[in-house]
Amino acid sequence: MDLGLNRRRKQQKVIPDGLKELYPHDLNFFTVPPSSEISLSEFEDLAVERLNVLRILAFASQKPVKQFGTEWKNFVYEELQKQNLKKFLRIIKSSGSSNPSELDYQARRADHISHFILRLAYCRSEELRRWFKDRELELFKLRFLELRGASVQQFLEINNLHYYPINEDERDELREQLIDSTGGLFILDNTDFYKVPFSDVPNLVRNRKVFVQSGYAYIPSFELVTCISNIYRHTLSENLIYAFKRMPLLDDDRINHLLHNLNDAYTGKDYSEVNANKSEIQVGNLDKHAKDHYPLCMRHIHETLKANHHLKHGCRLQYLLFLKGIGLKYEDCMEFWRQEFTKNIDEDKFQKQYSYLVKHCYGKVGSMLNYSPYSCVKIITDSVGYGEQHGCPYKQWESTVLKEKLESYGLRQENAIEISEMAQKGHYQLACGKYFEYTRFKENKNVINHPNQYFDESYGAIKREEFE
Amino acid sequence: MGEYTEELLQELLPLFYSRLFPCNSFYRWLSYGSSATFKLRELSFTLLGDIYIRYQSFESMENFSNELNKHKPIKIDIGAIYNHPPKYKTQIQKFGPVEKELVFDIDMTDYDDVRTCCSGTDICSKCWKFMVLACKVLDAALREDFGFKHMLWVFSGRRGVHCWVCDENVKKFTDEERKAVAEYLFVKKDGHKNILFGDKIHTSLRRALTIIKPYFNQMMFVEQNILGTDEGIKKFLKNIHEEIRIQSEEVLRSVEGSEARWKVFCDYFRTLSQKQSIPKIYKNTIEELMLLYCYPRLDINVSKGINHLLKAPFCVHPKTGKVCIPFNPKTVDKFDPATVPTLTLLVDEINKYDQITKEEEMADGVNSSKIKDYKKTSLLKSITVFEDFLRNIERELKQKRKPTPMEF
Ligand code: SF4
Ligand SMILES: [Zn+2]
Repeated sequence: MDLGLNRRRKQQKVIPDGLKELYPHDLNFFTVPPSSEISLSEFEDLAVERLNVLRILAFASQKPVKQFGTEWKNFVYEELQKQNLKKFLRIIKSSGSSNPSELDYQARRADHISHFILRLAYCRSEELRRWFKDRELELFKLRFLELRGASVQQFLEINNLHYYPINEDERDELREQLIDSTGGLFILDNTDFYKVPFSDVPNLVRNRKVFVQSGYAYIPSFELVTCISNIYRHTLSENLIYAFKRMPLLDDDRINHLLHNLNDAYTGKDYSEVNANKSEIQVGNLDKHAKDHYPLCMRHIHETLKANHHLKHGCRLQYLLFLKGIGLKYEDCMEFWRQEFTKNIDEDKFQKQYSYLVKHCYGKVGSMLNYSPYSCVKIITDSVGYGEQHGCPYKQWESTVLKEKLESYGLRQENAIEISEMAQKGHYQLACGKYFEYTRFKENKNVINHPNQYFDESYGAIKREEFE
Repeated sequence: MGEYTEELLQELLPLFYSRLFPCNSFYRWLSYGSSATFKLRELSFTLLGDIYIRYQSFESMENFSNELNKHKPIKIDIGAIYNHPPKYKTQIQKFGPVEKELVFDIDMTDYDDVRTCCSGTDICSKCWKFMVLACKVLDAALREDFGFKHMLWVFSGRRGVHCWVCDENVKKFTDEERKAVAEYLFVKKDGHKNILFGDKIHTSLRRALTIIKPYFNQMMFVEQNILGTDEGIKKFLKNIHEEIRIQSEEVLRSVEGSEARWKVFCDYFRTLSQKQSIPKIYKNTIEELMLLYCYPRLDINVSKGINHLLKAPFCVHPKTGKVCIPFNPKTVDKFDPATVPTLTLLVDEINKYDQITKEEEMADGVNSSKIKDYKKTSLLKSITVFEDFLRNIERELKQKRKPTPMEF
């Protein structure tokens, strides 16, 4: 597919050799759209991966630590690691352009393509554009700050940004002014200064952080990131508007569909808040809900719990957060947990060993953070050990096991086969959507991104119908 | 004709628009060398009885002049240049501003907490000095820091000044660029903390200080006498950082008189500095005080947005009857708002001139009625300032539009 929205589709295949010319640098201004062919599933995977990167940034920026400071960075890197976003970790942390490996090139390609997919998904409204732009800027800044040595100047040259440090004579001449007018700590003789049009650094000018003369701002090298990211912001703004205008030319329903759901996924619908109007979820109804409204992953965990009165840690976490997300109150959840677990163990042991996690998930102890229920991507990419029941069944289970399970749930044989074939090909979330269709007997309009979204679409829809 | 009163406005405005308002120069200015530009400009009229008509635009100078004479607005505001003639605003879907001068508005009422001579709408030669300094500081910063060339400075008719930056590239500024310039030139006035700039003083503020210094003592301590009263001392101390506030008060009260008090305070502060017993970030307290009192107090909202309207030069202020005349920032020291011509004065001057020439014509039979009316009045000087400003713009436009020689 052609993300450049060119009217004529190019059929050119990417050959690894071409990557060198296409991606001379880790950092990319994304001025040229990708023109290679990719499969629908790769399309989806890349989009979701980048979305997760952006979400990590959004989350990190809400933390009470200095943006782009060490703590902030460490948090981002840890999260990227945890969520297994290897390509992005690679491309953010590698220092620029020297001696790239095949893996580097693959990462650059993923970066490039995923940016353009999300650009399409996020160009549709002012609000979406703003969110996307802010996150992409954070990503860009982080990456620019990680560039080392000559790769900064290389990046500038590749992108035709003619910024060069002023020479020593000029610096000596402006010595006093630069010392007086430049904010931040620096040693004049160790710092390069770039002379840039003042409108390239409106924020530095506005706050009187730089020396300004005849319409030019003299920015120290450590502020170059402000300048470059400001330029990036402008081009990105324009490009988003451009994409928005060209959007109607994209006539592939599958892609449109996918893009449409991607941006729904953003609004932080991370289901971390216990929704007040959903709080009529009763413990007594959970069995029925599991049968009618749970996605397969959660239904399986629920049934495991009911059968064994025990769950392993990974399962417990995944399910508790899900329960919180569907609106089960903390007290009710604790009671449910106690009822089940104490069928095998005594009350005392439960209190000591298992009640903690419930409190933890609801943010009652520990860091008091409000944990969000896991999204599909998180569940799918989580590692699942032998004998563990969590994770995404479409990915974890053998296709015969999956097929049998689905049939045992009352699906017709051909439907069960269809779903397990999808899963086989790696389209887990699409398979999940089909399961929705065949159990709910209605069309699945949105790609399943989140077990709680699944529940909402199934149960919420019924509630809404009843209401009407 | 005597003193101006508001009641005379209705009677005198027709004459003002038909014989005095420099319609031609005004049109030349807003055309910037192209009549198409003038057509896209929003002008709004305020009519007697506070009827406000926005989004007017005019096809030509004649059209503009006719409408002026017909409506006789008590105020004209200048808005942005739009993508379509503003008068067709409702018929056009994507109507929006595209260009405008960068404007600055400084009003004396923003200085009420630092002037003791007058308050509210009143001004006198003592507090006018705040405007003089504002003009000098701002003009220098616009020229030197930003490299702007075409500034038009205008008396706002009562108690303030306006500045129009008319450079070609400036008119194209985005809101972001306007905001950057405006805030760069803005030093927050309320409270001590905001003005703190630590141990370094930005070059632009340093320049402001060199401009302010020669005026400062005379202006603040002799004329405004800000340390002369108990209340004044208390107010002053609020701007001194806590650790030395009590001693400062003692020092101030140890002598009598505003000027003497400032002197002992400065001595005391310098001694502390020399002993290095002042935290670094308070090192520049004296400079900060100077800026706090005398740095231009911009109404930055006027400057930030492309579609903010501002009163046009050569309007008559309805309350004072004074004409909003352009002046030369280089000689702003000599500008005295008290001598700005009023409507009544101008009409008297015309009549007097007409009377004399009539007598002379009768005597030697020469017809001198071709002389433009404003040349007979004290408006002449400000129109000359305006014409000079226009000539500079037009010269630059001509140079730019000169076709570059073709290369083969
Ligand atoms: S796709 Fe999501 S909801 Fe469906 S089974 Fe997998 S993890 Fe659960
Ligand atoms: Zn006064």
